[in-house]
Amino acid sequence: MNSGLPILVVEDNDEDFDMLQMTFHSVAIPNPLYRCSEGEEALEFLGQTGRYADTQAAPRPGLILLDLNLAGLDGRQVLEHVKRDRHLKSIPVLVFSTSGNPKDVQSAYDHGASGYLLKPVDLPRFERMIRLFKEFWLDHIVMPEDDGREVSRG
Amino acid sequence: MGTDKVGTHPAADLTNCDREPIHIPGAIQPHGVLLVLREPSLTICQASENTQDLLGVAVKDLLGQSLEKLLPPEQVASTRESLLSDRLEDNNPLKLSIQQGSGGSRQFDGIAHRHQGRLFLELEPSTEQKDLPFFGFYHQARGAMSRLRDAKDLHALCMEAASEVRRLTGFDRVIIYRFDADWNGQVLAEDRMEDADPYLGLHFPASDIPRQARELYLLNLLRLIPAVDYVPARMVALPEEAQGGPLDMSFCVLRSVSPVHMEYLRNMGAGSSMSISLLKEGKLWGLISCTHISGSRYLPYEVRTACEFVGQFMSSFLPTKEGYENYDQRIRAKSIQGRLLERMTRGLDFAAQLCQSPPELLELTGAAGAAVYFNGRTTVLGKAPSDEQLQGLFRWLASRPVSQDIFATNCLLKEYPESEEFKDVAAGLIAASMSRGRHNYVLWFRPEVVQTVEWGGNPNKPVDVQDDQPRLHPRKSFALWQETVRGKSLPWEDYELEGAEDLRRSIIDIVLERSEELLKLNTELERSNVELDSFAYAASHDLKEPLRGIHNYASLVLREDAAALQPTSRTRMDTVVRLTQRMESLINSLLHYAQVGRMELSLRETDLNEVLASVLELLKPRLEEAQAEVRIPAPLPPARCDRVRMMEAFTNLITNAIKYNDKDKRWVEIGSRQEPELGTVYYVRDNGIGIKPEYHDAIFRIFKRLHGRDKYGGGTGTGLTIVKRLIERHNGRLWLESTPGEGTTFFFTLGGETAPPATVRPPALEDLR
Repeated sequence: MNSGLPILVVEDNDEDFDMLQMTFHSVAIPNPLYRCSEGEEALEFLGQTGRYADTQAAPRPGLILLDLNLAGLDGRQVLEHVKRDRHLKSIPVLVFSTSGNPKDVQSAYDHGASGYLLKPVDLPRFERMIRLFKEFWLDHIVMPEDDGREVSRG
Repeated sequence: MGTDKVGTHPAADLTNCDREPIHIPGAIQPHGVLLVLREPSLTICQASENTQDLLGVAVKDLLGQSLEKLLPPEQVASTRESLLSDRLEDNNPLKLSIQQGSGGSRQFDGIAHRHQGRLFLELEPSTEQKDLPFFGFYHQARGAMSRLRDAKDLHALCMEAASEVRRLTGFDRVIIYRFDADWNGQVLAEDRMEDADPYLGLHFPASDIPRQARELYLLNLLRLIPAVDYVPARMVALPEEAQGGPLDMSFCVLRSVSPVHMEYLRNMGAGSSMSISLLKEGKLWGLISCTHISGSRYLPYEVRTACEFVGQFMSSFLPTKEGYENYDQRIRAKSIQGRLLERMTRGLDFAAQLCQSPPELLELTGAAGAAVYFNGRTTVLGKAPSDEQLQGLFRWLASRPVSQDIFATNCLLKEYPESEEFKDVAAGLIAASMSRGRHNYVLWFRPEVVQTVEWGGNPNKPVDVQDDQPRLHPRKSFALWQETVRGKSLPWEDYELEGAEDLRRSIIDIVLERSEELLKLNTELERSNVELDSFAYAASHDLKEPLRGIHNYASLVLREDAAALQPTSRTRMDTVVRLTQRMESLINSLLHYAQVGRMELSLRETDLNEVLASVLELLKPRLEEAQAEVRIPAPLPPARCDRVRMMEAFTNLITNAIKYNDKDKRWVEIGSRQEPELGTVYYVRDNGIGIKPEYHDAIFRIFKRLHGRDKYGGGTGTGLTIVKRLIERHNGRLWLESTPGEGTTFFFTLGGETAPPATVRPPALEDLR
């Protein structure tokens, strides 16, 4: 259903990204996967500026998987930025974090995250989580059609 | 003022005292002769009517004559010279031989002075002591001087002066009498023969020595009344003298005494009296007052001069010795101050510290009671009004328009009539206000002076009564004085007020310092909390990340290549996976522990039976697996607590009870009991393995385990630490009793009200980056 949508993963940890990629593969998620390992980079990607001035290299993602703890500009700020930007705010952002701090969870939802997932230290659980993610977000959820630009004109 | 009729003299009504013109009595005491002379002829224009008795010449024959007629030829010139000189008083006493009408001559001491243009010459018969040896006096005086000078303080000075004057004069009683600001008098020192009534410590009302008498004491430094029952000798004058107005005898040593005063002396049982004025900075400070109860007593001029000298000498020491008296007090106050300061810094509750024994707070101002009112709490020391009365007083103090730092009065009634009902403890008040607006005070109380001042001598000795009329007597005076000071306390001395002021400043400094310290501590605490917070979360995140990596890769290797691995390698990889899981649970426990300390508790009246039921429901599988019996002998009383946290506490304790248990029939009992000191004490008891006494403290330390990891189902060693923290967050206590091998009981109390957290909640994490 949403198999064509590019997914942007903002994740600074190589091993975690590696696992994610592997698991995406093993649960057969066909969507194109893009990765930014820093907050600033994610903003450039989303704004198609800086090193991502070429739209080909940075398509507008249909979904963002966001780690909160990033070096430099961190995940919370990326989230705020996305949700403040009228072209980007319709993109669902799933926080994908190690931190179970209730404050982090609260502030993520306050700032418009569509979900909050805890990274488990347990491979089978992780795989189950990704499988459910695929079924829910990629097979069942109805995504917004456009990038918000049309809406803003109307 | 009393209006007792005094003695037999109808005119001697005390209310008249202040108006009696005592400086123009028109008469003298008859032990001498007063002549008023016209200069330069030395014509006698006024004389006392007793000239016949003492000079042998009738007064009518004397008037209009020159003094020279009375003198032997060889004394005329020198006497003229002395009397007509500008500084005639320097020549006193003139040693005069007066020719008696009968032919003989008699020796007189002549004492001359000028006043209002008149030349006064008083003649007193010289005593038999003839020429008192000048050197004897000189030596005596010199000894007296050095003793007075060396007196260590006012009290010693007074004692010394009293005994010196008594030695010089032989009077039966000599007292030192000091006036207060309202001219009431107090006896500070006394030297007396044994049979004389003690007057030491007595107070006299101002009315005892009326205003104009006090004025004369300033003019005449010494007054002698050799015999109180004398018959006054009236003055007789040449007709033309009358135009000069009444004769002002202010400076006459022979001046006749007011009948009221005579009555007073007679009532005191005095046959004779003398008073020497004591001056300080030009004002009348007090008197050296001598009375003789065994009849009359005449003192020759020289002795009087010596006494006057003692008086002047003493006067000259008053400023230093009196200052020294206060200096001593001030030094004392300073050291008390120091001790109080040290006390205040000793504990957190400075008010309680101040009001502890010994009562130095009272010593500081010479008060009998005190109250410290701080942040709505009152602490009392010594004799103080009741709580209700204090509340009223605080309200009144707070309502006063001008709030001074120190408010002091020795008659609170005048300012605050409601204090009538507790004037016995608080007739006098010092109120030191320590903060604007918040109305924090230290109060000192003094009882009514009447209850403070002791009688001199025997308080039970009745007042003398004569013809059913109380006679005016020092005791009577004392009673009268007591009436005048109803509702008043002794006045607060300067140094006492200074003590209060100093303490007030110290308290303000300390309280300020405290609040600054608290603020600093709070800031520190906040910072370390924030650091702990960020440490805990950062640690959890940053530690878990590599941990996840290790775990996942090890799991992958095991999954994909298990078959290819050597058995030992496989075991090792299994161990890596297991270790990462344990590490994770440690990290989670640590994180949880960090949270428990700062989470907001939601305190409500909670049915613990319901809490317990939920816990047991959750633990059901484990309880069944362990085949453990749960005993609840009686329902638990409710408590004010956080339901979720209490569930956690019970879960932990019950889990431990069945976990650390090696009996065939395991049981755990949950109950409560009432204890007088602690209130409700809850307990969780088991028949498990028990805990050795040496571990009773250690088990509460985080990550402290008493058993191997794989025994008793393992665990991270944070469970009890967290329970303890939870209970403490509820203002309760957790402790245990245990018999190794038989079982353990954990007890806890729930304070219900948590102490206000001394911390400010850490800011949200986004503020930390």
